[in-house]
Amino acid sequence: MSWYLYLALRQLFPAGKRFPFITLVSVAGVMLGVAVLIIVLGVMNGFGEEIRRKVVDTQGHLRVESGQILYRYQEVIAELEQRPEVVAAVPYAAGMVMVQHANRPAFPLVQGIDPAAEQGVMPLDDFLIYGRPEDLDDDSVFLSVFLARSLGVIPGGEVEIYSPLLLERLRQDEILLPRSVRVAGLFETGWHQIDENTVITTLRLMQDLYGLGDGVHGIKVRLRDRDDPDTVVAALNRELEPPLRAISWLDANRDFLFILQLEKNVLFFLLLFIVLVSAFAITSSLLITVVRKTREIGLLGALGARPWQVGQCFCLQGLFIGICGTSLGFAFGFLALHFRNDIIQTFARLTQSEAALVRFYQFSVLPAETDPRDLFLIAAASLVISTLAGLIPAWRAARLDPTEALRSE
Amino acid sequence: MSKNGVVLRAEGLKKRFPSGDRVLEVLQGVDLELRAGESLSIRGESGCGKTTLLHLIAGLEPRDEGRLFWRDQAVETWSRSRLAGERARFIGMIFQAFYLIPEIDARANVLLAARMLGRPKADDRERVEGLLKRVGLEERGHHLPARLSGGERQRVAIARALLNRPAVILADEPTGNLDETTGDAILDLLLELCGEEGASLVLVTHNPLHARRTDRRAVLAHGGLHFD
Repeated sequence: MSWYLYLALRQLFPAGKRFPFITLVSVAGVMLGVAVLIIVLGVMNGFGEEIRRKVVDTQGHLRVESGQILYRYQEVIAELEQRPEVVAAVPYAAGMVMVQHANRPAFPLVQGIDPAAEQGVMPLDDFLIYGRPEDLDDDSVFLSVFLARSLGVIPGGEVEIYSPLLLERLRQDEILLPRSVRVAGLFETGWHQIDENTVITTLRLMQDLYGLGDGVHGIKVRLRDRDDPDTVVAALNRELEPPLRAISWLDANRDFLFILQLEKNVLFFLLLFIVLVSAFAITSSLLITVVRKTREIGLLGALGARPWQVGQCFCLQGLFIGICGTSLGFAFGFLALHFRNDIIQTFARLTQSEAALVRFYQFSVLPAETDPRDLFLIAAASLVISTLAGLIPAWRAARLDPTEALRSE
Repeated sequence: MSKNGVVLRAEGLKKRFPSGDRVLEVLQGVDLELRAGESLSIRGESGCGKTTLLHLIAGLEPRDEGRLFWRDQAVETWSRSRLAGERARFIGMIFQAFYLIPEIDARANVLLAARMLGRPKADDRERVEGLLKRVGLEERGHHLPARLSGGERQRVAIARALLNRPAVILADEPTGNLDETTGDAILDLLLELCGEEGASLVLVTHNPLHARRTDRRAVLAHGGLHFD
């Protein structure tokens, strides 16, 4: 081991002495910065991953649409199902309606599905908290939990559905009565955007409500998990005859995903300032060390040390502080992520904000997902910043004239 | 070493320092020759330039004029980096204030001199143990400097100065911070060890009794060395 590496280690971790307080403070600063970055980016990734899973579970990996009512959808489904990457392809019809129960109106989004085939794309079984998929028929609906709560309806109760078709018929001086249906089940996906305001009906019922005849609005497709939706969409768009076109879930939610990524990048940039502030602590503590050890630096010169080696000794101390702080930050960050739900629930209980958390953040548990690229970026940024923090003290030490240093009081 | 056994030669060394609006010429042309194994004491009033002369000899401080030869080689032709490397091999320095690194134990302080020349070898570690034994600290090698007395610290510094088998030891008032008895013991040890190792010694001291024990004696006054 070179003497400057040896001395750098010994000055930070002296033999037979307590851990120096000044080193402890510098390491703690880096540790906090790294831990906060890991926790926040982990949770941001978790949100992203959870949204991806919910979107895929409720919308499929991609949709095939034509912008018009699609009548010969069975042929398209048969073609799609021949592709090896397609796990399932199911028709859907979707639109807004007005639902009323006991004079309480709501304006949910209706998804008309084929209950038997839908399981291939949407795991309805997992989402239903009351009722079974086979309970859904042309005279019944499944309501999302929050919608049922706001309407004040319970399973077995009846709701009336007013579709836009009613207005269309009114213009033609026809009166169409609202459709009265039974609530056959309640579902909860865990994604508040859907759980707040969604009705699931049979495809047949939705076709009646929207006057689609035998047509549908499109086809939802689920792919194998290993396949990239964008690649499959590109291949499909080369093969599908216009006006048919495929849209991946990434495209359909591009704005939302962009905002999510932007938030993550901004948070990374802002939180990196914690590491930067700790770098100032490293610089100031090492500068103090250089002043305190002026005569020892002079001695090193007298023993034959080259100026760059003296500089290395202090620069390496910055690196070691960075390594210790980053390692502890990783440990602390992963520990906090592991117990994140306990922490968040305790916090929510103390601040009585459990309901608000679900309402605003869409999820009842805090998701987290660590991305190796983020971890690499955090570690690299922290180590580079810590090492750079040692450069100014290193430069000062290297520039010290040994004779002046030896004469200093 | 040169043919006539001279290991260190200085010719007309001059050193000036600015002092207010005038220039103070501390050394006004110092000539010096030191043979292998020879000891030389230098006395002089405080501020007369004794430490400056040692720093010039060690190549730590640039000369304003004059030439300096280590084993017949002119050091002014060397780069700063080479000078530092050669210094680690050619010169061992001992200071009044010991200057041990407080974070490492006595053994590591001695071994630091070998680390300056690269990774310490098994021979170096054996030599450290031998030197610690020779200076009477074989049982205290694992002690940090803070747990050693002044005399013990200076013994560690002597062992460190001798580790790389330098040709010249420059001792700047090595007994200045010690009581009379301990100082005498340290000087005995220093002279004995230089004799055993064949190292030349330049001893800067205020103590005339100590100065009398070297082979040659000089007084630094009015910017020049005056030999007895």
